[in-house]
Order: sequence, then C-alpha cells, then structure tokens
Amino acid sequence: MNVLKHAVGRIFWALAVVFAVASASFFLLNALPGDPARVVAGPQARPEDLARVREELQLDQPIVIRYGLFLRTLGHVANPKADAERGQVEKERELKSGLEKPKRAAHATCQRVASLAGGYEFHVDFGRSYQHRAPVAKVIFERYPRSLALAIAGIFLQLVIGVTLGAIAAAKKGTWIDRFVTSLTSLAVSAPTFLTAVLLQYLFAHRFRLLPLDGFGDTFAGHVRSIALPALTLGLYGAAYFARLTRDELITLMSQDFVRTARAKGASRLRAFVVHGLRGALLPLATAAGLELGALASGAAVTESIFRWPGLGHLGVEAVLNRDGPMVIGVVFVAASSVVIATAAIDIFGYWLHPLARAKSSN
Amino acid sequence: MFSIRGASSSFLLGLLGCDIALPAPLPAGHPEEVAPRTGGTLRYASFGDIRSLDPARANDGVANSVVIFLFSALIDFDQKGKLAPELAERWEVLDGGTRFRFFLRQDVRFHDGSPFTAAEMKRSLERALHPATPNPSASYYRNIVGYELYTGKKVPHLDGIEVEGTHVLSIRLTAPDAAFLPLMTLPPARPVCPSAGATFRDDWPPCGTGPFQLREGGWAKGQYVRVVRNPGYFVSGLPYLDAIEMHFLMNPPTQRFKFEVGELDFVRDFTHADTIRFARDRRWQDSITRGPDLDIYGESLNTEMPPFDNVEVRRAVAAALDRKAFTAVRPQNLSIHTSAIPASTPGFDPAFKGQSFDLQGALEHMRRAGFPYDPKTGQGGYPKTIPYLVYPLGIHEKTGQLVQQQLSRIGIRIELRLVSWATYLSLSQRQGAVTMSPQGWQQDFPDPSGVLDPLFSSTSINATESSNSAFYRNPTLDGLLARAHTEFDPQRRSAIYGECNRILADDAPWAFTTSLHAFEVRQPHVRGYAPHPVHSFNFSRTWLDRATTTVPSMGPSR
Repeated sequence: MNVLKHAVGRIFWALAVVFAVASASFFLLNALPGDPARVVAGPQARPEDLARVREELQLDQPIVIRYGLFLRTLGHVANPKADAERGQVEKERELKSGLEKPKRAAHATCQRVASLAGGYEFHVDFGRSYQHRAPVAKVIFERYPRSLALAIAGIFLQLVIGVTLGAIAAAKKGTWIDRFVTSLTSLAVSAPTFLTAVLLQYLFAHRFRLLPLDGFGDTFAGHVRSIALPALTLGLYGAAYFARLTRDELITLMSQDFVRTARAKGASRLRAFVVHGLRGALLPLATAAGLELGALASGAAVTESIFRWPGLGHLGVEAVLNRDGPMVIGVVFVAASSVVIATAAIDIFGYWLHPLARAKSSN
Repeated sequence: MFSIRGASSSFLLGLLGCDIALPAPLPAGHPEEVAPRTGGTLRYASFGDIRSLDPARANDGVANSVVIFLFSALIDFDQKGKLAPELAERWEVLDGGTRFRFFLRQDVRFHDGSPFTAAEMKRSLERALHPATPNPSASYYRNIVGYELYTGKKVPHLDGIEVEGTHVLSIRLTAPDAAFLPLMTLPPARPVCPSAGATFRDDWPPCGTGPFQLREGGWAKGQYVRVVRNPGYFVSGLPYLDAIEMHFLMNPPTQRFKFEVGELDFVRDFTHADTIRFARDRRWQDSITRGPDLDIYGESLNTEMPPFDNVEVRRAVAAALDRKAFTAVRPQNLSIHTSAIPASTPGFDPAFKGQSFDLQGALEHMRRAGFPYDPKTGQGGYPKTIPYLVYPLGIHEKTGQLVQQQLSRIGIRIELRLVSWATYLSLSQRQGAVTMSPQGWQQDFPDPSGVLDPLFSSTSINATESSNSAFYRNPTLDGLLARAHTEFDPQRRSAIYGECNRILADDAPWAFTTSLHAFEVRQPHVRGYAPHPVHSFNFSRTWLDRATTTVPSMGPSR
C-alpha cells in the first residue's frame, strides 16, 4: 500500500515537472531574439512574404494566445468523426456564402494515444512544425522509438562491458589488470563521442566493411546492423562510467562485515563476489542505468548525427537552432517525460527494493 | 564544426597508422565510348536536409536542386546561361514589355498522365501565389496585374494570367519589366499536377512534368530522396539515368568514405583537408569541376550609423581588406570578388577592377574622414570599438577574424559578437541595430536586378527585415535600377548595370570580398556531367558507365 501511495505521489510530481519544463521552454523560446518566420522563409525573403509566412504559422498572434492554444490542445479527449462531420457542414455553409477560408482539418496535428469508449480518443498535439511542415506529435512518435531502441542497445552494451571490466578490476584490485582497466576507462571517458564514432566508422565500416557506415536500414536485419556502431559508440563511452562504478562499489562491498561473515561461514570467493558483492551493487547500477536511459531516450544528438540515425537527438538540436517552437516544445516534453519517468521508476524500484525506506515512510 | 571534426579525426587516424591518403578513382567501364548509355542510379549526398519538395514552398538550395528533377519550367536557363524554351516552345514580349505570351508544347503530360495545358499552368501559378500558400518568394511576382487583389483575398483568380487557348498563356504586368522572364524559371512558376489542387497542402505528394518523378516511399524525410526516370518525359531519349538518390544530413567525412568505396558517385561537401587532397592529386584532376559563382560575400557597413555614415571610412574599409587572405579560408570554394554583380551574371564586366586592397590608400581615406592613424605608433584611428555581428559554424566566423585583424592596421577596432543564425538574421536586418556584419547573397536567377535591387535599392529599406542591410540610399542608383527594368536592349541594360556597379564600388555600402563556388568531385564512371550556370547538381544529361555491375548497397537502392 505504501509503495502504491509513494508511486502515485511520484507520478503526480512527474507530471507537474514535465508541464513546468514544457511551459518554461515555450516562454524561453519566445523570449529569445530571432524570428522563426525568417528562418523558415530564408534570409532573402521580402517583408511581405515574411508576413505571409508569419500569418500562416500563427506567429502574428500574441504570445498569450499562442500559449493558450498550446495548452488547449496539448492533451485532449476528442471525437474525430463527429468533429469531421461538423467541419464539413461549416465548409458547405461557407461555400454557399462564397466566403470559404482555407483551413486545416480538425485534429490534423494530433496523435492518438488511446482509444476511449463511444468513439472518443485521447490525443496529444504539439502543433505543426515550422520547419518540417508536419504534425510535431507524428514526427516525434515516429522517431522516439528509434532513439529509445538506440538508448536500450547503448545501455545494454554499457552494462555488459562496464560491469564486466569493473568486476575484473575489483577482483584483481591493485594488480596491473586493475591499473590497465582504470587507465582504459579514463581514456574512454575522456574521448569525445564524435571521435570514437569516426574511429569505429573507419575501422568497422570503411576498413573492414563489416557494418554500414551510417543510416537506418530498410529491414529488421538492416536496422540491427545499422544500430551496432552507434550503440557501440554510446556503449564505450558509458561503459567506462559503469566500470568505475562497479569497481568502486564492489571493492567497498567486499570489505563489509556481511561479506566477511559469508566467507567465514564457508562461502567461496566467487559466490561471495557474485551473490553478495554484485547483488549489493545492483541498486546504484540500476539507478545510474535508469537515469542514463532517460537521458539517451530523448536522443543522443552527436551520435545520431554522425551515424544518421533518425532519432530525436538531431531533431531537437536542429529545432532549437531554427527556432522551431512547436518542435522544441515537443522534444522537450518527451525528453523531460523520459527523464522524469525513468527517475520516478528508479525511485519506486529503489523504494520497493529497500525495506528501510519503506519502514521510514510508514513511521 | 565539420572541419574541426575532420581535422581531429584525420589526426587521430594518422596517429593510429590508418591510411587517410586518397584512393585511385574507380575506373569507367568504357572510357573510349562517347555515346551515352541508359540506366543506373546516381548517388550523392548533402550535409543539409530538405523540408519541402513543393515548388510553391521550396526555398533552399538543396531542395531546389531536387525540385528541378521533378518540375520543368516554361522556360529555363541553358548550359550557357541563356533563356531557352522548355515547356513553352516559344514566347513573345508584347505591349512594350507588359505582356508575355507563351506558346506551350502540346506533347507534355504530367507524371500522373494528365495533359499539360495553359489552364493547368494558370492554376499552378495561382496556387503558388495564393495568400494561404507559405511561398517565401510570392512577392517576386507582384507586378502581375491583379496580384494585390488576389493576394488580398478580394478576387478568386489572378486576372493578369490569361488562358488564350489550350496551349497559349499570357501574363500581363502592371509595368514593363525586363527582369520578368527569369522569374518564370523559379520553382513557384513550375507547373504542378492537377492533384495539387488550387491551394497549398502540406501532404501533397510532389508531381510535375520534370525528367524524374517521385514514387510512393521515395522520400524518407531526413534520410534520402529517390527520384526515378519519368518514362513520359517530353524530351525524347532523356534522361539517361534510371534514378537519382540524394542522401541527407551526411557529414563530410562519411561522404568521403562512401565515395571511396563507390557508395556515392558525386561529392561536393568536403572537409577543408580533403578539398586540398583532391585538388593536389593528379589522378583526380579530370574528375574535378568548379561550380558557378552564385553567392557573393562582403562586409555590410551600416551607412546610417557612425562611423560608416562617412563614405571615407567605408572606402577605407574597402581598401584595407586583403581579399587573398579571405580565400585561404576555403581555397577551393572562395574566389576574390570585388564588385556587386556576381561573376556568373550577365552584366558582370571582368575588366572592371572594383574595390581593391591598398593599405596606403585606406590610411589616406581614414585621414580624410578625420581619423588619421599612425601604424608605427598605433595612435589615432576611430576612437570607438565597433561591434561586428556574426554567427558561428560558417565561413563568416573565420573571415570575421580576418576583418578584425586587417582593419586594426588602419585604426578601426572591431569586436566580434557571435550570435545564433536566427538572431543574426533578425538583428542584421533591423534598422539601427547593427553597425557592421558579414553578408552574402545567393542569386535566384542570373540577372543583376536579382542582386542589386534587394541589396542596394532604397526601396528595400525597412525598419525590420531590410534586405538592404547597409541601409544605403542613393537616388542616382535608384534611378538607374528603375531604368534597367524598362530597358529591354541587352547592351544598354548591361551598360546601366555597369554604371551601378561602379557607383557601388566607390560608395562602398559593402566592402565586397569573395564569391563562393562548389568544388565537385565525381567518379570517372559519371559521364556527361557539366556544371550548370544556375542549377546545382545538373544531372539532366549525365549517364553512368560503371566498370562493374555490382553496386555497393546503401539502403534505398537495394
């Protein structure tokens, strides 16, 4: 029950954080100098053409109105069929009066999240991207799974490589192996991802032709082959962190009384290491991995750009540079949601895992 | 950004003993043959992306290069830069230059099979100029009779566009305009299939009358576009290629890697180091082409703000800049350019010297301006520091440092202020906001009016969004520019623009510095390619002569 109460509290807090971040990004973006219409129309557009573009993007509306529109449509329940019929009636009336105005179909920029009873649906709507001329929600829903897949593959490699190296370094504490692993992790942490990426491209794609240089692939096998190098780039970078974390945690844990007790009671060194040591390191590792997943799921901009992995990372950077307000807000919303959901999940997981925290809460 | 990345990767690869030397070109299959072969897919890439392939909206260089594959125009520039018939067999200039009559080909069909007629042309133009269409260059056509009423939503059709027969179309202008015909080559004037309807829609699949067509699934946004041969293209025997693939957002080192292994056939985006490698490698010399100089660059000097409200200070800046140092920033892409008219534009006079580097002359201009400067002691000069607005990640970030260094030699001290591209665009065109900034202009069509009117006519001055970023007013120049629009004789028109060029070089609202051209490398199996004076990536008569039938796969061509 306490876990449930704690979880509900965290979810409400998470929603508030996401909403605050999206609103802050909306106002910050509008406070920045620079005209999105100018970026859309190009540096050589004339004032009258800019005015036309500005009107079309609704940038001629006051900021409060635009914020109101943003809030009104952000998440809503709708009946698309009924709305379409109403729109058709309105159009026919305008046609009869000769005053037809070009307008977009209802829910044209929405993304259905869930179907409800009675033909109703729950939609999210971030508006239409100034640059892509497509519904932001549609673009994000298309790209988010790709960033998430890359994040999961990257973190999987980070954990496999990192935990293995960290465990070896801890088991061989003070030896040349420990020093070698520590030096290697320092190098990996220090190397910028773009350098690692170009090196991996050169070796695995250009020199040995084992994997594609970049791209997304057309088939499932193509996706798997294409994700290998970007995932390895992320994996090598993050593995260094996990190796150090694992090593330090294991060294600390292995000198604890409960491990010594286990050894005194006859547990083998391997069993003490795996059962007591590694299990004890699980929580900090899971916490770090969860946070990393939240951050990477919203896009690893540099890695995605170099490997032309069509995820959210490059999209977000490009949107900020181009002042593509709806896209920035959409990406920020998803990024904040990813981090907040990951944080909340870790928190709830940790709460569930840690009896002491539950006991404190119940007191 | 890419040059730093490229240089650092080259350095590290060198340290690791990896081979960064250029490989030999991939040989052509039948180099002795001259008759074009049909078939094959030509592949190239760009570090940029395209947002739209609708000619009513496409407004960047990368998109326009694909638009010309899909959409033909009534008339277009030929390989020599002259206007030539395309969808129109011929045209007439009537009523003293206020009416243009086009006689359309009768054998043209859109990609969807529907016939191309004068009525379809009228619909296409009205769609592109419709007030609800986000067309960033609609106002170029504001001289068409009825434009104001149509864009003001007062009338349903554009009166100035008249269908005189199934295949005869007339366009009436409110005043004579010798620069109107080039406007008919631009994307918004290229006809679109009936499926496009009368108003713009974001989700319309591009469809026109061009040599290539886009099939379903041919455009993966942010990844690639693949256009395939239009079997019904009205020019018999063309195009030679089965398909063209353009890949997007591909950084220069990756493009080079793919080019080496044959996954790309043609490359234009190189790291600085790679342009030097290719330019110096004798094996590649027959495969290198230089594109036309479509962009001009210069330092815009705000003539309304001190110290550049003083013509002598502007002349001093123009004389103090050593353009040769500027070209060293990208030696294979930048050329010295010292006047307002781009070198590839009719009216450009190669004998005209324009502005030139003369340090002593610059010091003399500073003395005349009342700011004498002694280079030996560093005393004197303009007493205040001048802010210089520039954006990162481009050529201007580097040339700005040269400007700072070179102007310090005549007692003008400038401070570089780096802002984002969006901020730069907004501020540099706002009245009273920026004293000095680097500027560039890409010609839309090869006519001096396309450059001089927006950059230097006082009619282009606005409180915000002023394309005349120097806020330069000269009634003599305004008069000449207006007269050039009504002068249809090419020689007399050239003479007018020659006079404009001389005024601008002397008055120096810009210190003109360089022009930009593409440095292109293709594999020898890419045959029949020649750079076009106006269009990028001109593959209209290109054919492939691969030595091997096995083409490395890259995704969409599999």
